[in-house]
Amino acid sequence: MMRPELKDAVVTGCGIAVSGVAGPGDLLAAGRAASAAGFDPETGLRGRDLRHRDRASRFALRAAEPALNEAGLSDGERYTGPEHATAVVVSCNLGNLDSVCQFADTIAEHTVTGLSPLGLPQTSTNEIAGWLAIRYRMRGPNVTLCNGATSGLDALHWAANLIAARRAEVVLVVGVEPDTEPVARLLDDGTGRPRLDGAAALVVEAVGHATRRGVPALAQLRGYARSPRSDEALARVRATAPGPISLLLARDGGPLPGDGRVLDLTARLGHCSGALGVLQGAAGVSHLREDSVGAVLAVAGGEPRDDAAAALLLTAAAGVS
Amino acid sequence: MSWDITGIGAVSALGSNPYEIFDGLCAGCSGLGPLRAFDAAKYRARCAYEIDDRAGPEPDEPFRASRWLRAAVGQALADAGLEGIGSRPVLVGTTLREQRSAELWWRQGTEFSSCDLHFGPTLRNEFGTPYSYTFANACAAALYALGMATDMIELGQADTVVVAGTDSITESAFGSLDRVQNRTPEALRPFDRERSGMLMGEGAVAAVVQRSGTATAGRVHAVVRGVSMSCDAHHPTAPDPEGIVWAVQDAYRRAGVTARDIDLVMLHGSGTQLNDEVEAAAMCQVLGDAVEGPLLTAIKSMTGHTLGGSGLLSLVMAALSLQKGVVAPVLGLNDPIEQARSLRLVRGMAATADLAVAQVNAFGFGGINAVAVLEKGA
Repeated sequence: MMRPELKDAVVTGCGIAVSGVAGPGDLLAAGRAASAAGFDPETGLRGRDLRHRDRASRFALRAAEPALNEAGLSDGERYTGPEHATAVVVSCNLGNLDSVCQFADTIAEHTVTGLSPLGLPQTSTNEIAGWLAIRYRMRGPNVTLCNGATSGLDALHWAANLIAARRAEVVLVVGVEPDTEPVARLLDDGTGRPRLDGAAALVVEAVGHATRRGVPALAQLRGYARSPRSDEALARVRATAPGPISLLLARDGGPLPGDGRVLDLTARLGHCSGALGVLQGAAGVSHLREDSVGAVLAVAGGEPRDDAAAALLLTAAAGVS
Repeated sequence: MSWDITGIGAVSALGSNPYEIFDGLCAGCSGLGPLRAFDAAKYRARCAYEIDDRAGPEPDEPFRASRWLRAAVGQALADAGLEGIGSRPVLVGTTLREQRSAELWWRQGTEFSSCDLHFGPTLRNEFGTPYSYTFANACAAALYALGMATDMIELGQADTVVVAGTDSITESAFGSLDRVQNRTPEALRPFDRERSGMLMGEGAVAAVVQRSGTATAGRVHAVVRGVSMSCDAHHPTAPDPEGIVWAVQDAYRRAGVTARDIDLVMLHGSGTQLNDEVEAAAMCQVLGDAVEGPLLTAIKSMTGHTLGGSGLLSLVMAALSLQKGVVAPVLGLNDPIEQARSLRLVRGMAATADLAVAQVNAFGFGGINAVAVLEKGA
């Protein structure tokens, strides 16, 4: 069984583009309804630079921009990080479901001659990571993880692995799920639970690289585990924490005496699918901005139909850089 | 560091295990047949390299990609002498996941849930593992999975990792490809002047990757010397010559080899106008004046483009070529394109040669490149 410790990977930038949410810090406000200051896809997803991209790719590009800016890796236009040593890891389960369903409808009604010639890339989910790489000229490993409920936390783990294996110094991690008609139908469980419409991005960086650039680390990736059950995953990762957990990002339970707040992001945002883990990372980073000695534990998956649960520990990066 | 391939498994239009597929390739057999998965009247292209294992003629069945994945992984585990997966990680590379099942849900109302898009649940049910990852890294996916498996072993996270790839063709992808190809191919003919495009194939492939010296059954099919993973960051569908050259040279650096060490190249060879030209030119540039130069082949000429798993299928076939000293021909290659004139593409019939080191190319949409270097097993 894999050891749960992660080393050498810190977060240096964070950004989100989520319908109705103002910014990463706003994720910590439980139960708040969409605010007027929140991201509005109607206006926020427009622009020449987003033409011919599907909804998931547009959200991903909008979330990546503030994350790279915060990490000091953009001059406002171009990416200034190491071209070949920058990887992209995208987590997304449902991003191209609308294209898949719509193209099948079009073929049934009009044969293939009715299809747009520009639609081919949208048949594969990796289109999102491809657009991010093209936009910022990131030529390292380009990874798309579609791994169910745990996918976003898994993506952060793989980012740490790419750094530990010295395949990348910087990894742009994006979790994204667009709310489309087929997604609404697929996720309809009769409860009227809303669905996320948006993306979160984290810049994960080798600690040495961040130090050399002289940028502050916002958080450190410390532990990760997968397990059939969420309580087991949580317990294994909690064991790597240096002290009490100041924020537990989970659907329910398990705070121990001394632990702090429990926050379920899905209570406000609804189904987050593959974006959840990266949103939890963004919420964790926001929390650690205010709590420089704390630790954030995030848990995803572990529901009856999921193949596993995953847990991830973020700590403040004091003394790291 | 190097890594042992100790178990292999595969299913494709050419056969139901790696040896059947290899024999079919060497005999120049084709898995091509009339399009059965969908209503052919809706398409210009009327053939594909399908696995036609449906229970009845109509309608199409969901979850075929999952079924083949389970079969290939089961074969690889048995071949490696492993009783089961236990808590070993399984890394699955795929282009289209279970999107065919999503289409059948959307169009015909067959049962489907959001958990069914990836392969974790089927692997958990079949093998009991909670440690699987589904990577949708287009047509370089399974070789990317291999690269990430070697990283896990190098980082001490596992001694054994199962890597796999699987894809069944979808209406949306088959149709979108059909829409953009200028001509309608009747076969996939890589590097031939008369080639008219790509045709999709179906199948799954798996390999057990182990830390050197931990082979349970004591047999090593081949040794992985290095895997390069990169991205052109250039165009959503068109390959970038510079990116491909970089990927191949990076693989050589990681493997500690030079072009002169390569005896066999398993080309990506997807049969499209641009991809074949770019790949052939890139290989000429990389190989340069390597004495004689390696033999090169392209198995998609017989398996079709098996998408996410295609690179790993090439790698498994390369392992068998290294063992047996036999290289399958490129079927349908009569008149090579100008860019491939100086390459020793195997034509007409299988070639025999003493082979030690093989290179495997896999390139995908999004400009994703993976190149592996493989050495003959002890």
